[in-house]
Amino acid sequence: MIGLASAASAAGLISGQLAGLSLGPVALLAQAVTVQQVPAGSLHPSMAPPWAFWVLATLTVVGALSTILRRNLIGAVMSMVATFFGLASLYALLSAHFLAAIQVLVYAGAIMVLFVFVIMVLNREEADPWPTQGIVGKALGAGALVYLAMRLGGMLLAPGAAIRSVPGDPPGSYGTVAKLGEFFFTDFLFPFEAISILLVIAVIGAVVLAKSHVSRPTSTHEAGVDGQSFAAAHESAHEDADPADAAGHSSHGHGGH
Amino acid sequence: MPQLWQIISEVGVQHFLILGVVLFVIGTLGVFIRRNALITLMSIELILNAANLTLLAFARAQQDMRGQALALLVIAVAAAEAAIGLAIVVGVFRNRQNTNLDDLTLLRY
Repeated sequence: MIGLASAASAAGLISGQLAGLSLGPVALLAQAVTVQQVPAGSLHPSMAPPWAFWVLATLTVVGALSTILRRNLIGAVMSMVATFFGLASLYALLSAHFLAAIQVLVYAGAIMVLFVFVIMVLNREEADPWPTQGIVGKALGAGALVYLAMRLGGMLLAPGAAIRSVPGDPPGSYGTVAKLGEFFFTDFLFPFEAISILLVIAVIGAVVLAKSHVSRPTSTHEAGVDGQSFAAAHESAHEDADPADAAGHSSHGHGGH
Repeated sequence: MPQLWQIISEVGVQHFLILGVVLFVIGTLGVFIRRNALITLMSIELILNAANLTLLAFARAQQDMRGQALALLVIAVAAAEAAIGLAIVVGVFRNRQNTNLDDLTLLRY
């Protein structure tokens, strides 16, 4: 702990000197090192101002409602971005700083861009967003959900409700990247590797699914025969879009063998 | 009345859990009442985020960082699910020229 503090103070000293020399980015980096000295307990839910939670919760709920109720798809995506920013701030209130950053990067950055791209590509307005067909079942399901929410909320807010918890502020290492990385290389090593395989499969699957003319019968037939002729047939099939022409090419290639 | 003020002024783990319940219900409602495939995918993202919020709230209550590791895995799964789901939506749109879930009844009967 003392070593950490001295290192941090040394970094602060360096940052001060660098700021004096006006070396912009390096000084900023050194300042970021010193900022980590703030104890994690300062973001404890009971120590953060209560209005922070209420403001963020309102932003999140209003954004979520707007996401599912808006007719305009781009508007829905923008509401969703607001929801995700609110959620990231709530994660920070729960001392999960790294996950707050990841939430903004992955959701508000990557996934939302993906959604916007697909909406732009499809460019289709919903003809009838509120279908009356099968409305009884939907109303019953919605009623059951609201009842579930009321019961769960009432149970959590009951005076005698007790959630098993460790009192006091978490240690300073709680929620840091270092601690999380430690978990991923010890206890969570297998899920970590499995997730990496899952992501590879997802990327390949997305490319295969979204590619056009993925299973043209001539191409697969040629691929079974010979890799080179498959490439040639694929090329020619792309050059002339006429299916009859492509079939002619395929039979020609087959005859060559 | 003082009890209500206590609920408002003392934000604890319960509040985060209730917010998670509310978000989950909103996401499931979105799956129920909308027929657009894209809105449905967004609602599924909302549901996964509600689960994440609950995980982080419990992790904070018990000061156990394994909940945070689990939440990170959930985020990775959600990213994979969004990529695959959107690819499927694009493929369906290419074949049928719309993304209306009520019209996709080929495998229903």
